[in-house]
Amino acid sequence: MPQYQTWEEFSRAAEKLYLADPMKARVVLKYRHSDGNLCVKVTDDLCLVYKTEQAQDVKKIEKFHSQLMRLMVAKESRNVTMETE
Amino acid sequence: MVLLESEQFLTELTRLFQKCRTSGSVYITLKKYDGRTKPIPKKGTVEGFEPADNKCLLRATDGKKKISTVVSSKEVNKFQMAYSNLLRANMDGLKKRDKKNKTKKTKAAAAAATAAVAAAAAPAAAATPATPATPAAPAATAATAAQ
Repeated sequence: MPQYQTWEEFSRAAEKLYLADPMKARVVLKYRHSDGNLCVKVTDDLCLVYKTEQAQDVKKIEKFHSQLMRLMVAKESRNVTMETE
Repeated sequence: MVLLESEQFLTELTRLFQKCRTSGSVYITLKKYDGRTKPIPKKGTVEGFEPADNKCLLRATDGKKKISTVVSSKEVNKFQMAYSNLLRANMDGLKKRDKKNKTKKTKAAAAAATAAVAAAAAPAAAATPATPATPAAPAATAATAAQ
């Protein structure tokens, strides 16, 4: 279960993993306020992990989350035509 | 597992974060969803099931209480703004970085990052913000060292 030290490497590897099999990949976010840390895991039965205690990473992680969410709901144009028919 | 509407999910998620402030973790899971409501049978045919491509499933739990919601492309814009604000507002218990060279770097990086993201082309943008950030850092440290 590779753990990444830099956000850059993690986000690139995570995106690649998702694009390899979008239906299988999932993102898990674990936040502990009492300990003051945040852990992101992207897995499709193979895990990539990134842990942080830095406030500056929250913004990056939240953007990453939104980016993946958009990727998942993309390809709407095809579906819209199917629904209207 | 409670399936909620997007707005209600956001409200419940806020409550989960507030509940776990003193102890415990909040787990959030994001996964692409194709709209199936029945499990895939081991043999035999799946009955005329048309996989939808434009939805994702969001789950949250604090270990005891579970909530979930489905977000589709139509709701994603509104939901995403509210969701991002929620995450940023609640995940504020982390350590702040060293102020001196980071404030200059993060401001520049944030400005560059937001401009790049706004221009769409998300996969390309993931690579490009890295390069403007790194030349800025040595420039900032050189400036502070000179002073």
